[in-house]
Amino acid sequence: MLPDDAVDRIAEGCRQIGALCKSQGIEQWEVVATQSYGHSIDIEAGKISLAAGGGEGGYGVRVVEDGRFGYAYLVDLSSAEYALKQARDIAKASPSVAGFVLPSEQPAEKVGGLFDTNILNIGPEDLLEQADAVLSEVASLDQRAVVTGGGLGVGASAGAIYTSEGIESSGVTTSHGIGVQVSIDANDELTSSYEGDSSRKRLEQVPDCVAVAVDWAQKTRGPIEVNTEAHDTPVLMTSEGFSPLFSMVVPSAVRGDRLVRSESFWSGKQGEMVLANDLSLIDDGRMEGGKSASARDGEGVPTRRQTLVENGRLIGSLWSTRDAAQQVAEGRIEHAQTNGCAVRGGHQSPPYTGCSDLHMTSTRTGSSQDALLERMEDGYIVHSVMGAHTANPTSGDFSVTSSTLLRVEGGEILGPVKQAGLSGNLAKALSEEVYLGDDVRVQGSYSSGAMHLPDVLLMQGLRINPA
Amino acid sequence: MVMSASPNDDHRPSTGRYLNQSKIQSALDHAQELGASYAEVRLMAITDSSVALRDAKLERAIPGQEVGVTLRILADGAWGVHSTTDLVSLPSQIESTVRLAKAVAARRSSKDAPVQLAEVPIFEDEIHWKSKKDVRHTDLQTKIEHLKTLHDSAADDDRIISVTCGWSDEHLHTELMTSEGMNRTWSFQRSLINASVTGRDGGEVVSYRTRHGGEGGLEVIESCDLGQLGEVARIATLRLLKAERAPSGKMPLIADRDLTGVYIHEALGHPCEADLVAAGDSCLDGKLGQTIGNEIVTVVDDPTIRGGYGAHPIDDEGLNTREKCLIKNGVLTEYLNHRETAHHFGLAPNAGARAQDGLHHPLVRMSNTLIQGGTHNDMDELMEDIEYGVYACGSRGGQVDTGRGSFQFAAQEAWLIENGELTRPLKDVSVSGLTLQILKDVDGLTRDAQLAAPGFCGKGQTVPVGDGGPIMRISQALVG
Repeated sequence: MLPDDAVDRIAEGCRQIGALCKSQGIEQWEVVATQSYGHSIDIEAGKISLAAGGGEGGYGVRVVEDGRFGYAYLVDLSSAEYALKQARDIAKASPSVAGFVLPSEQPAEKVGGLFDTNILNIGPEDLLEQADAVLSEVASLDQRAVVTGGGLGVGASAGAIYTSEGIESSGVTTSHGIGVQVSIDANDELTSSYEGDSSRKRLEQVPDCVAVAVDWAQKTRGPIEVNTEAHDTPVLMTSEGFSPLFSMVVPSAVRGDRLVRSESFWSGKQGEMVLANDLSLIDDGRMEGGKSASARDGEGVPTRRQTLVENGRLIGSLWSTRDAAQQVAEGRIEHAQTNGCAVRGGHQSPPYTGCSDLHMTSTRTGSSQDALLERMEDGYIVHSVMGAHTANPTSGDFSVTSSTLLRVEGGEILGPVKQAGLSGNLAKALSEEVYLGDDVRVQGSYSSGAMHLPDVLLMQGLRINPA
Repeated sequence: MVMSASPNDDHRPSTGRYLNQSKIQSALDHAQELGASYAEVRLMAITDSSVALRDAKLERAIPGQEVGVTLRILADGAWGVHSTTDLVSLPSQIESTVRLAKAVAARRSSKDAPVQLAEVPIFEDEIHWKSKKDVRHTDLQTKIEHLKTLHDSAADDDRIISVTCGWSDEHLHTELMTSEGMNRTWSFQRSLINASVTGRDGGEVVSYRTRHGGEGGLEVIESCDLGQLGEVARIATLRLLKAERAPSGKMPLIADRDLTGVYIHEALGHPCEADLVAAGDSCLDGKLGQTIGNEIVTVVDDPTIRGGYGAHPIDDEGLNTREKCLIKNGVLTEYLNHRETAHHFGLAPNAGARAQDGLHHPLVRMSNTLIQGGTHNDMDELMEDIEYGVYACGSRGGQVDTGRGSFQFAAQEAWLIENGELTRPLKDVSVSGLTLQILKDVDGLTRDAQLAAPGFCGKGQTVPVGDGGPIMRISQALVG
């Protein structure tokens, strides 16, 4: 899948652009490159509908002169001179940020588990076999169940960074992912569930998420009648249901620039209690096998594991180089510096501040789902929500809809509910009575980073509005 | 690793074409010799720029050029696809991509029909939708000045603590060559300006977003009174600081054009996409010709509306675009389709294929989707007999479960309606419902239908869309 010289080629391309920067006398510069290769299979209507492969990549160049920065990206080295001109022109039009310089070289220790040779050896035929196995598994679990959409894929991505400040780093990461939309359409009722999984390592031939998708398509059939009055209620959100909301709201709230600009619901609360007193938030940029982990961040600074909220108290925040310099220069904070939290959306984006692998943990021992239900007594289990992207990251307010939820009374599951609205304020709900499950699962996110979350029982702060 | 193409003034090769036509033709012929029943090469070159201003200071400006090409081969009734930024390597991928398609076909069960494509007219031509003011010739300073106008108006109050304004423009150039002899080149532009406004009053923090944009160049931005756009955003933000949380429950709802557009996009447009219908993931499966909505509801999807953010002259399978009438007076009349699904359902192809860029294969997508106007004169007329309800406006986005037929969309702001009058401002209003129920509950539309603010639609790939309609009343909606 990955050409043997993929890393060498992009590293050499970075050096060529760097040499051009030097020859033009550019004060500071940073060249990044990405090149990814992969195979994928699409599944529709219970069958493999398409097999695809390919690769893409390019270069991005950031120039900094007198605290001003400009950026441009390109796909073809022969247009590097033109891209540099564009970046320099932009820098001239940009405001000078006092103290903003590109980060200098610091040694960075490798992070393990980001590369799996086994993935490189997966060819299209292997993926087709895996797709067949998934389809067979779904049919064997429930003859009515059909994979109506989704697919699976493998990829390898080479990346490199080369800067005027002596940073020169390159490497390869791998990924293997699957997503399946399972539907059961019978007796004039259609239920469905989407589940996915991905990893830096080779996944099992049939990952657990496949059975979970079938299970939720099954157990949301035959909705029961419930009180349709809107009411406040405890809600047990599965990791899959909670993660989209959490990822919309929480990572942006711990960005240093947003905190000091009063754009976070936790602004002005540094050192204060913001979560329930057993909860902590940790961003681990060095997590072995982490989906977003790496030795260096998006601008070459060594990554770190850092606690942002400890036992409910806000003690940290995320910073990248320019954001830190700008907020200091504008007088919003006396001192700030990068803590290795620059992320990028590929070569087309200059670095910005974001989280890596974000964990929410509790000092309490995690509870089984049965124990959580017993504690909840009456309420709902919500497994997926629609409209999480409409949540307000500035206030923490949200109002979403779920068609994958179960009614619980007396600690027992009564049955599924056809549809319900769910609203509240996530910051408030997480600051009250919260209990975590014992099975942490990794989810993708609407923002940067990966979310490591168990099931979460929110006892207060949520309102449900069954249809 | 990457293609060889040198930028010049308009960032295109001197021939005006990226694809070497004789080489590509040979590659397509070779695919057929290897057993492909159909092969296509589609290239997309995007010259774009984005600019962001944060609190009136330039935060970032990113010019860029992307070129991607996708080879799509149909062999033994199954698809193989190869996408790359390495244009030169494409001919060498023919054999492996034919093999890929055949490997997929070999796994097809006897009960599944092979993929076939509906017949379409073959064209060899070039179509360029010229902008009045080409965005590629718009300098950074001009963009910054427009953004500053928007910013200054939006930020003009002490309670506004932050305003981020954004600009994006793109020139899209597509080349398509197929084994059937299709050889088309087309181009057009899109431009967009937006602002995100954050207000704070004591412990209360709110945000509001506004956008203006469409197909075309600088003239799209110049056609907008940016001072007014910023003022509306500022006033809305300040109003949200005083707004109450919305009531929950079923009640009459009036939606402005923005929300009407998002509603029809989510609730009807997605379930009408024939690839989802064919996959068994649409609540509209088997309902063509049936009444699914109130007779006042007529819905079209029309990529030919110049200026709409979802406008485009040719779809990504090379068909001339046209208006599709999805619902006529409450009756489901047409699915959005591409060539594969048109053949699958025995329907006429209606040019619904769109790909995000040159590295993605086309899917069935919407373009500019709107409900046509009704008979009510204005909003007052829609509101006059509502005792207790909600008027919701501005979109924060939406989502749909096409199979279950349930959807959700969120408003930027809202008002309570009491006894036919707008009374108190509300915040955090979302609306959810079931497609097949709520289309019947649309019971009032004003006369004038227009596209509203531009949007983006995600379906694995992201494409720009336009949505809109008149002001709409729904007799019973689940408000949360």
